[in-house]
Amino acid sequence: MRRLPLLVLVLLATFSALVWMGGKGWGPLVVTQVDEQKLILVFGRPVSVLTTPGLSLRLPFVSDVRTFDHRLLYFNAEPLPIQTRDEERIVVDNYVVWRIIDPLQYFQSFPTGSSPAEAQIDRVVRARVRQVIGQKTLAEVLTTARVDIMKEIAEATNAGLKGTGIVIEDVRINRTELPSGTEENVYARMRAERQRLSRQLRAEGEEQGRRIRAEAERAALVLVAEAKRDADILRGEGDAEAARTYADAYSGDPGFYEFVRSLDAYRKVIPSNTTLVLPPTNDFFRLFQTRNVREP
Amino acid sequence: MAREERPETAEAKVRRGLRRTVLTILAWVVSLALLGVWASTGVYTLAPGQEAVILRLGRYSRTVGEPGPQIHLPPPIETHAIVNTSAIERQEFGAHADAQDARKEAHLESAMQTSDNNLVILGFVVQYRIQNAFDALYKVSNAEAILRDAAQAAVREVVGRTTIDGVLSEQRGQVEAETEETLQQLMDRYQTGLAILAVQLQEVQPPQQVRAAFDDVIAASQDKSRTVNEAEGFANEVVPKARGEASELREQAAGYKAARIAAATGAASRFRALAAEYRKAPEVTRTRLYLETMEEVLPAVDKYVVEPGAAGVVPYLPLGREKVRREPPRIRTEPESPPGAAAPETRP
Repeated sequence: MRRLPLLVLVLLATFSALVWMGGKGWGPLVVTQVDEQKLILVFGRPVSVLTTPGLSLRLPFVSDVRTFDHRLLYFNAEPLPIQTRDEERIVVDNYVVWRIIDPLQYFQSFPTGSSPAEAQIDRVVRARVRQVIGQKTLAEVLTTARVDIMKEIAEATNAGLKGTGIVIEDVRINRTELPSGTEENVYARMRAERQRLSRQLRAEGEEQGRRIRAEAERAALVLVAEAKRDADILRGEGDAEAARTYADAYSGDPGFYEFVRSLDAYRKVIPSNTTLVLPPTNDFFRLFQTRNVREP
Repeated sequence: MAREERPETAEAKVRRGLRRTVLTILAWVVSLALLGVWASTGVYTLAPGQEAVILRLGRYSRTVGEPGPQIHLPPPIETHAIVNTSAIERQEFGAHADAQDARKEAHLESAMQTSDNNLVILGFVVQYRIQNAFDALYKVSNAEAILRDAAQAAVREVVGRTTIDGVLSEQRGQVEAETEETLQQLMDRYQTGLAILAVQLQEVQPPQQVRAAFDDVIAASQDKSRTVNEAEGFANEVVPKARGEASELREQAAGYKAARIAAATGAASRFRALAAEYRKAPEVTRTRLYLETMEEVLPAVDKYVVEPGAAGVVPYLPLGREKVRREPPRIRTEPESPPGAAAPETRP
């Protein structure tokens, strides 16, 4: 009974050593990490597929273990010049997110490693991108249908990669560029559009400015004219009132009014330095004459 | 060992028992020491903001987020990987990420097509942090590279839905928000374990080749508001002036009216008073008034008394040499006198 702990200790040490060896690819244990999947080959023939993490057993010495990534994998394809349905040329740069879902099929399709697999994916993606985008117009590619196009490409690519153990999770256009040389056309169009906008803005300013000025001038004119009208009405009232007052007063004695008013008028119309030629029979000189001539 | 029944001396027995005890103790001590050393390899320390993902025999076991010393079963039974989940990382995209060398690449990164098929130069920054340590470590091969391409795909997708005017001005915030959302969706879909904290547009400009035209639009916009402002200034000047003039005209007319009425009332009153006196002594008053007037008028004039019909005296009038009449300046604005309404002026 005293030896039991020691036994447990020894077993534990042995187990740990085996796990450690398994991690190095030796011995009868295989450790599949959480981001790995493995294929066990016996004399080159695949005998089991390990897609879940944990411990597995294998035949030591005669078996071989191949490890594959269980994570999402990613690669960026080379930019690809394409002609769209409306014959616009465009350069599409896309990336691919993929994973290995069947290590056996994958191993059989690409026994030498991942770069032939990426090359294959690249080939298929290029073909599908060219095919799908070739059926769309430039506007669709750039804007509205972009998401659908990417979905379509991913599906078509998956169909093309059936049986290789690869599944394409996403194909995404990260850049679309105009091929060099056609940019100047775009710039010319942009410039023309901006010039149109500039002219429109200036014309609108002119329009509003003139309207504001005209409205102000009209308002000013109306204000003054109405004031003149009111002024004439007031003057007329004043004149009428004055005339009535005069008439009331003078009609009491029209004869005397004529006399007084005539005298006033003389005062006014004969200012100084006037030369008057008067006959001696003038009313004013009547007495003057009589005294001098007739009654010495 | 104890089963062997051999005659032994008591001394040998004791010695052997002692040796065995010593060996047993030694074995225990060594074993425990080895166990302790082995166990100590399972000790690790977490700084604040760090998380450790523990795998047991390759399988996910747990995520530890408590800062301080921690322990797990010693490797290779359990292993740990430490990730900083609080650090905010940032990636820059576009023109000013690289200055001179990679200019072509920078240009490619930053020129984007808008929905109205214009080009816009756009630089932006993505801020993110690791939200799910396990996903970040084990679900995706190169999270940062994916983030870089996915961010560009997202921003181009969003800019591709927006007009150039929107991107340049009023829809910037919307572009940022939509890019952030799209990028987060991609990150979730790829299980990168990354949380997008912010997408910020840095510099948004029209391409160099057309910048002058874009600047001119801004200038035109300013011209427009200047023209409108000037017109409003004119309106603000003209209308009050007109209002002032209108008030002036009305007040003058009111003054005229009052003056006319006052003058008429005064004159009428004067006439009535005079007429009343005249009626008492008509002849005398008449003569007096006449003579008074003549006294006033005649002294200042050149008088020639000529007998009518007197031969030899040719009435020669120096018409051409008439002196300019001096007239006292009148301060009256009287447009026209209605007939018969001329007031008798009060004169000295």
